[in-house]
Amino acid sequence: MNWKRLAGIDNLSEEYAYGQDPVHGYVSAKKIADKWVATTCGYCSVGCGMLVGTKDGKAVAVRGNPEHPVNLGKLCPKGLSEHYTLQAKSRATKPLLKRNGKFEPISWDAALTTMVEKFRGVQAKYGAGALGVISTGQLVTEEFYTLGKLVQLGFGTSNFDGNTTLCMASAVAGYKRSFGSDGPPGSYADLETADVILLIGANVADNHPILCGRLEKNKKATLIVADPRVTKTAMLADIFLPVKPRSDIALLNGIAHILIRDGLVNRAYIEAHTTGYAELCAFLEKFTPEHVAQVTGLGVETIERVAMLYGRAKAATIGWTMGVNHSTQGAETVSAINNLALLTGNIGKSGASPFSITGQCNAMGTRETGFTSGLPGYRKFESAEDREELAGIWKIDVERIPTARGLSYPDIIEAALAKKVRALWIIATNPVVSFPNYDVLIQAFENLEFLVVQDGFHPTPTTELADLVLPAAVWGEKEGTYTNSERRVSKVNKAVEPPGEARSDFDIFVALADKLGVCAEIFPGWTSTRDAFEEWKKVSAGRLCDYSGMTWEAIEREGGIQWGGERLYADGQFETVDGKAKLFKVECEPFPEQPGGGFPLILNTGRTVEHWHTRTKTGEVAILDSMSPRAWLEMNPRDAKKLGLKMHDEISLVSRRSRVDAIELRLTEIVAPGQVFMPFHFAETNVNRATQSAFDPISREPNYKQCAVRIERTPSAGRVN
Amino acid sequence: MLLPLLERARLGDPLTRYTDPEFTAPELTALIPCSVPAPGEQYRFHFDMTKCIGCRCCEVACNEQNGNPADLRWRRVGEIEGGTYPFTQRHYLSMGCNHCVDAACLKGCPVEAYTKSDLTGLVLHSADICIGCQYCTWNCPYGVPQYNPERGVVGKCDMCHNRLADGDEPACVNACPEEAIQIEIVNIAAWVADHSTANAPGLPPAHETISTTRITLPAQLGPELEKADHTRVRPEHPHWPLVVMLTLTQLSVGAFAGLALLDVARPIAAIAALLVAFLSLGASTLHLGRPIHAYRAIKMWKRSWLSREVLLFSLFAGSASAFAGATLFGLPRVAAIPTVLLGLAGVTASAFIYLVPARPAWNNWHTLADFHLTGLVLGPAFLRALGVNVPVALIASFAALQLFNQVLKLLRLVSSEEFELRASARLLSQDLKRILVARLALLVIGGIGLTLADFPIPALILALAGELAGRYLFFVSVVPRNMALPWLTQGRLTQGRAA
Repeated sequence: MNWKRLAGIDNLSEEYAYGQDPVHGYVSAKKIADKWVATTCGYCSVGCGMLVGTKDGKAVAVRGNPEHPVNLGKLCPKGLSEHYTLQAKSRATKPLLKRNGKFEPISWDAALTTMVEKFRGVQAKYGAGALGVISTGQLVTEEFYTLGKLVQLGFGTSNFDGNTTLCMASAVAGYKRSFGSDGPPGSYADLETADVILLIGANVADNHPILCGRLEKNKKATLIVADPRVTKTAMLADIFLPVKPRSDIALLNGIAHILIRDGLVNRAYIEAHTTGYAELCAFLEKFTPEHVAQVTGLGVETIERVAMLYGRAKAATIGWTMGVNHSTQGAETVSAINNLALLTGNIGKSGASPFSITGQCNAMGTRETGFTSGLPGYRKFESAEDREELAGIWKIDVERIPTARGLSYPDIIEAALAKKVRALWIIATNPVVSFPNYDVLIQAFENLEFLVVQDGFHPTPTTELADLVLPAAVWGEKEGTYTNSERRVSKVNKAVEPPGEARSDFDIFVALADKLGVCAEIFPGWTSTRDAFEEWKKVSAGRLCDYSGMTWEAIEREGGIQWGGERLYADGQFETVDGKAKLFKVECEPFPEQPGGGFPLILNTGRTVEHWHTRTKTGEVAILDSMSPRAWLEMNPRDAKKLGLKMHDEISLVSRRSRVDAIELRLTEIVAPGQVFMPFHFAETNVNRATQSAFDPISREPNYKQCAVRIERTPSAGRVN
Repeated sequence: MLLPLLERARLGDPLTRYTDPEFTAPELTALIPCSVPAPGEQYRFHFDMTKCIGCRCCEVACNEQNGNPADLRWRRVGEIEGGTYPFTQRHYLSMGCNHCVDAACLKGCPVEAYTKSDLTGLVLHSADICIGCQYCTWNCPYGVPQYNPERGVVGKCDMCHNRLADGDEPACVNACPEEAIQIEIVNIAAWVADHSTANAPGLPPAHETISTTRITLPAQLGPELEKADHTRVRPEHPHWPLVVMLTLTQLSVGAFAGLALLDVARPIAAIAALLVAFLSLGASTLHLGRPIHAYRAIKMWKRSWLSREVLLFSLFAGSASAFAGATLFGLPRVAAIPTVLLGLAGVTASAFIYLVPARPAWNNWHTLADFHLTGLVLGPAFLRALGVNVPVALIASFAALQLFNQVLKLLRLVSSEEFELRASARLLSQDLKRILVARLALLVIGGIGLTLADFPIPALILALAGELAGRYLFFVSVVPRNMALPWLTQGRLTQGRAA
């Protein structure tokens, strides 16, 4: 502080001056941009259109794009402050190689040479599959397509998966089971035209706030929210269903039972477009309202009423997110949701769909271009026809395309633990915070011979463990497309240059192909993501996710283009062999770790509106960090009374795996007695030290939402104030 | 301000700036009025609690609009909560400035940094006129004006009136994905007559300042909704320069009163008391964000107790200087009377600064008694330490009265029904307990014990330390009225406790 300021002659009036932005009007002069770049938000999968304002090559402001059909100019608090992520102090700017436990800067060429040598060395010694790759939902679609080819055809390993398996793998698997293909059938517009909207395990008010505007606009709809916690979204509901943890399958089956019992099913639709109805009817007999009431904790009348509302609706939409997906029965729960839609014909028409609201900005892009749980273009590893077709397009020997998927994310970690995977490449994800059962993950990492982490940020808890850190460009620094939850492909543009020596993921992938000597074959003449897009158009042609009619320019002009149009399956023709959707018998099983034996409480984890995933971005945005600076644990006051705990006490969360200390206690009626809730964003108090290694056998998604814990006062702790 | 509103505003379509010919702007709800207020009307916020989802977009948009630091937010979203699972109720309050009809911030301001616009009714603040005294931050029951230490001045929501003038939505209105915030025009007289819709759970009563923000509440609002942050009570800022200034001005006034009553012909004591006065008045300018502009503070003496305090103490200092100089020539006792009267008036003005409804623990006669008794204990003790023959029983009696005053105030805080008063009691009995015990012990030992035992210098030192501690507690233990805030805020660990 200078003397003029101390004396008060200067009150920083220049810094705090205002001015006229030619586009956005009167505003703080610091925020007036000389250029606005239209792009798509890089946080969640709502896919909001935004404008990034730059001044002298630096991003100074962000605005919602009023012309973008998804958000009509609105953004959530993360989007509204997204420009700060580009200038975060923790951006990775140089390739770093760990020598004797310390990171040393290294040239890009040396970094990539080292990486290829190490990976090739490990593969030569232990087999091609000893290399694992864990990707993300954060890259542009063109980069995912490029990465898939590089991993499968360049490095020759199929042990390749993304952090999307921690997020919406259950939705993918559930869609594939019921409809023969991934692909959310509906649109956001359905939220405005439905007369009944049932949200299951979806706290959109915290996680997808921009969708809430559509719920608000639809005055005629009855909004039903099923959640064990009284979330912000529960407060929006006309009917709130406070279900017991993991009783959603019983609820869905119970509704189906009543629909069948009362003839509220669409017989013609079932007859024409589904298989398995008779078996389902027989199976559902036991899900009487009385039985379901017992399992869910809801009243019989409530269950009857909800079933009636759903069954009599002209158009009903069921939306879900992680309350459904984060489960050992995630894929099956999705099947049960799809059952309801199929039984009533609530699919393929306006206002009616079983709609998975996706997580990351481009989780959909990696699902489409695949090479993880499926082949690019929703093709199947198991299908000889699909493999032949793909090999034909690429003009390669079909033998180079695997006949089955490789290891999924949790299985790659298990394999590393078992010393079968010996080298790992992690791209734009932070498993040290986001993967369940921290201790196991760390052990797995310790067993690796070489760990490469490619990320826009360093240090993160994961980059710190790496042998090699590759600095990558992030949202705002590169060009391509994202697909949002409603299959809308939107354009992503570059507003600023990446910091230091950071390079786009695309550049890194192509450079690696070059080092591997496969560049000319797999990326012939490619110089930018546009080349990848052009090839992807050919690969996706004729598939459900058909990009062949799109151009970057048209996508930009139209505010995004939905592949498959506004909705899928309007003709009742599904992607199965017989063209019919499948009805599934889904048992409602108890979640794997029931409370008891010294761990009497059920732990639920989730998010808060201010933060994104593991906070590598939002933790660096001062206003978001100041609004939500640390983790807390929600406990019902009745439980706290029994334990002699008070509001703001510093407590420890203890599970059979490990413990998390120094968490501030919030006593609140938001959570039910017997349950506690904690946000998963915070590396410092990482709730995933407590969560368990339990995975959906179908989707491989972790069961984050329930495990048994106890709460105790942190030894020698005080109170947070 | 540019008025009348531009044509675009009359069209009600702020999107026309996006000039893509193929883009048809969606129809907008009118979130801002299409005209300026007529005479007798003003702008106001409408907040619809039934629409707010607590996403906090408005807070971020406001900071971006105004270029404010991250931890200083002119718009804040608070949480209120109640009920029993699963019939839990949680709602949000998004509030900027309420642009009150009877704005408390404005009335207290010593420099007229605040104006209520004749045209729009908005309560506007000028960062150039403001001297950073922060008196407005104590006066507003909603905690709206906030001090920005980086700038040395206060700032607050101005409803983006410059955007309104251009026909643009204020930043918060524009950012809200739920259209929960609107700008309306209100007839002031009608609103003064009935402003019941300005009240909401989690807010102080609207009638005190006649907040103009209209709030639409959910139809079935439980009776037991509470501020989510009501258990998080933290000590306030100590304002060290004011602790020193208040205690020492009071000492000085007490000393001059003692000289006048007992023995005027003590030039050394008079000059010493004068030096204390100058020291304390000098210290007071360090409280200001912009000390160089301290002189401006007397401007609003007709309205602001802060102006009156500055004016009276300036006159006191002048008079005391003349008096101290004259003591060298053996003045008659009456010559001390103007100095003493100005001093007592100054101490009274000091106390009246703190008698504000927005800070309930200050807003009672204990404050007035506290300030005068500090002077009546320390002034004579100061003189006695300098060898003036003040009766020890007199000092000890005033000390006993101060003790009585403090204990009675504590009892009133503890037994109060009012949240802020009980919260003050909780701070004093928990976080601040040791300092409170020390403060009372110093008063008893210094003001009574050592005084009666006739150890004048140690008595003065201990009594002074006691009163300084008392003034420190006065500032840190007050719990201001405020709107509900989020449960989670920037935190810190307080007292450690063994498991």
